[in-house]
Amino acid sequence: MTKPLFAGIDAGSSATKCVLIDGDGAFVGSSVLASGLSYEEAAAGVLSQSLAEANATADDIEACIATGYGRDWVPGATRKLTEITCHARGAREWYPQVRNIIDIGGQDTKVIRLDATGQISDYRMNAKCAAGTGTFLESIAVKLGMTLPELDTLAAESESHTVINSYCTVFAGTEVLECIKSGKDPADIARGLFRSIASRLFEMIVSHDGPVAATGGVVAHCGSMRAALNEVLDDEVLLPPRPQFAGAYGAALMAREGSDVTVPTGGREAPPCGSSTRGSCKC
Amino acid sequence: MTDTALKRVPIESQKRLRGLMRDYFVDLDAAAKDPSRRVAWCTSVGPTEILTAFGFEVFFPENHGALLGAQKVSHTLIPRAVGAGYCPETCSYMNSDIGASLAGWSPLQDIYDIDGPPKPDLLAYNTNQCREVQDWFKFFSSKHDAEILGVRPPLYLGDVTSRHVDFVKGQLRELIERIERSFGLKLDDARLEESVAKSSKASSLWREVLETARTRPAPLSFWDGLILMAPVILMRGSDTAIEFYEGLLAEMQQRLVDGVGAIPGERFRVYWEGMPVWPRMRELSEKFFDLQTVVAASTYCNSWAFADYDGGDPLDWMARTSLEIFINRDEVYKQSFLESMFEEFSIDGAIFHNARTCPNNTNSRFGMAQRVREELGLPVLVLDGDLTDIRFFSTAQSMTNIEAFIEQLEGRRS
Repeated sequence: MTKPLFAGIDAGSSATKCVLIDGDGAFVGSSVLASGLSYEEAAAGVLSQSLAEANATADDIEACIATGYGRDWVPGATRKLTEITCHARGAREWYPQVRNIIDIGGQDTKVIRLDATGQISDYRMNAKCAAGTGTFLESIAVKLGMTLPELDTLAAESESHTVINSYCTVFAGTEVLECIKSGKDPADIARGLFRSIASRLFEMIVSHDGPVAATGGVVAHCGSMRAALNEVLDDEVLLPPRPQFAGAYGAALMAREGSDVTVPTGGREAPPCGSSTRGSCKC
Repeated sequence: MTDTALKRVPIESQKRLRGLMRDYFVDLDAAAKDPSRRVAWCTSVGPTEILTAFGFEVFFPENHGALLGAQKVSHTLIPRAVGAGYCPETCSYMNSDIGASLAGWSPLQDIYDIDGPPKPDLLAYNTNQCREVQDWFKFFSSKHDAEILGVRPPLYLGDVTSRHVDFVKGQLRELIERIERSFGLKLDDARLEESVAKSSKASSLWREVLETARTRPAPLSFWDGLILMAPVILMRGSDTAIEFYEGLLAEMQQRLVDGVGAIPGERFRVYWEGMPVWPRMRELSEKFFDLQTVVAASTYCNSWAFADYDGGDPLDWMARTSLEIFINRDEVYKQSFLESMFEEFSIDGAIFHNARTCPNNTNSRFGMAQRVREELGLPVLVLDGDLTDIRFFSTAQSMTNIEAFIEQLEGRRS
C-alpha cells in the first residue's frame, strides 16, 4: 500500500468507529467495536481492523482525526474535533444540499443546522439527561425485558401508536408500565417510544426548511426510528449509506483536507466509558 | 504553539486581593462579636450605601452562595434546604446558603478561621434582581431574630423615568426612617454622600478595568473578572475598593502597553451572557485557554459598573442605579445592551448560559439568543447549566458544545 490514507476515529459513548479513506475520499476500510472500558483499546482495535481491511499499515496513515466523547483518549490522533463538526462534514459529503442533520447517539442527540454554503450555522444537543438518546430506548427496552432490536421489531408491527409524554427516562418507563396495565397494544407503545424521540428532535430543529439527514447508530439499526422521524418531521429523512460512520467519515475527510481547526489533544486519564447498555445497539 | 508561547501571565493584583478578602471577613467576624458594632446583610446591588453610612458592616449572602458554588459543595447542601421546603429548582445560591446554615457549616470557617457568616442585626434586600432574595433573607431574619427591610423597585423597565426614580427614592427614605427608629440612629447625610461617591468611584474604576478588554489581546478575561470583582461588591463605599481598582487599572493599562493578553495567542473573542458556573470555573477557564479564546466581556461582571455619581442627591443615584441595572430591564433594552457590547468588544460569538435555577439572570428563554443570531449574524451558543448546582451541568456535553462552538467560529473564518 503506497497511497496515503486518512483516518477518522469516532470514539462514541457506546461504540467506537473507524473509517479509512484514500486520497480520493473513497472508503478503503472501516470498523466498529463496543467502546467498552477503554477508549484507547477500542480505538486501537477499530484502527487495526480497518487497516487490515484496507491491506495497509499504520505507516500509510498520513493524518488521523479523533472525534466523539472519547476523542481525548484516542492514541495516535494528530488532531481532535467535536462530533458536531465531523457529523456535519460526513453528512454533507453524502448530501451536499442537506440543511439539518439529526444524529442520535448513545449518550447524546444533536441537531446540526447548515447554512446554504454548508457551514454550521447552529447546533443543539440534548441537555443533561438521556431524553432523546439511544440510552433512553435501551433503558426502556430493558425495563420491558427485551433487546433494542426486539423493541424495534415490535414497533414495526404497530398500525397506530401510543403517545408517551415523559422526556425523563425514568418517568417514561413508568408511563409505559401504566400503558401496559391499561391494556394498550405493546406494539403501539413501542412505536410511541420511537415517536417520542422524534418529537424531542422536532423541537430541537431551529428551522424546518431544507433536506434533513439522519446519522448515528440508532437510525442505522432501528427502522422504527427512521419511520418515526419521517412521520413526525413529515418529511422523507435522508439516510446515508453508512449512518453510523458519519462522524468517523467526516473526521477522515477533514484529515484529508488538512483542516486547521486544531484543538490540542489530551493525554488525560480516560474516564469510564458511556453508561448506556452495550451489546444490544451499536449506537 | 510552544508551551512557552502559551504561558499565562498572572495578574499581580490577585495576590493583593487575597489579603483584602481576609481582612474583610475577619473584620466582619469581629464586628459580629463586638456589641458596639453592627452587621447588616445586604443584596449585592444595594441598598449598601445607606447601611454603610449608618455604620453597619455589610455582609453579602450572594457572595457566600457563590463561594459555596466555587467550593463545589452546593450539591451537598441544597438537599438540606429542599428538605426544609425550598424547591430544588429555585435559586441555588439561596438553597446552598440556607443548606449551609442548616448544616452549621461555612467554607469561611476553613478559609479564614472565623465562625462563618456574621450574625446580622439587620437584613436589607432589593428585589431589583429577583424576588427570591426576600425569602432568602426572611429565612435568616427568622433564624437570627433580626429586622428585615426591603426595597421593591418596579421591574423589567424599558426607559427609567423620573417617576420610577421618585418611587424608589420614597422607599429608600422609608428604609432610612425605619433604621433610625429601630436602632436609635440618625443618618448623617454627608456620610451617605461620601459612601455613594466612593461606591461610584470604585464602580467607575471597575468599568474602566473591564473596558481594557476591548483591546486585542484582552488583558483580562471573564474568568479573571469573576475573582477581581469582589471588592466592587463587598467593599463598596470604602477607600479600600478604590485603591484596589486604581492598582488593578494601572496593571491592566501596563499589560496593554506590553501587549500581554489573558490568553496568549488570542484567536477568538467570546461574550458570556448570564451567571457564571461557579463550580466549573476552573475547568471552563482552562478549556477556553486551550482553545485560545478569550471571554472578553460579560453581562455579569458589568452588573456592578454603575453610572457615575454627579454629586447631587445620593438617594437619586441609589434609586437610579437600582433601577437601571441590566437584570431589571426589559428584553428590548437587554438586547440593545448586548449588541453594543458585542460591537465594542469585537465579539466573534456569544454564549448564553441557561442557568437552571436563575431564570431572572438567564436571557435565552424568550428567543433572545435566536434573535441575536438572526439579526446580527453572530454565532450563539446556549449552554445549559447552573450557577452552583453541578447536578444541572454536564461537563462532557458542555465542553463538547464549547469546542464545537469554537470550531464553528473557525469555520466562518476559513
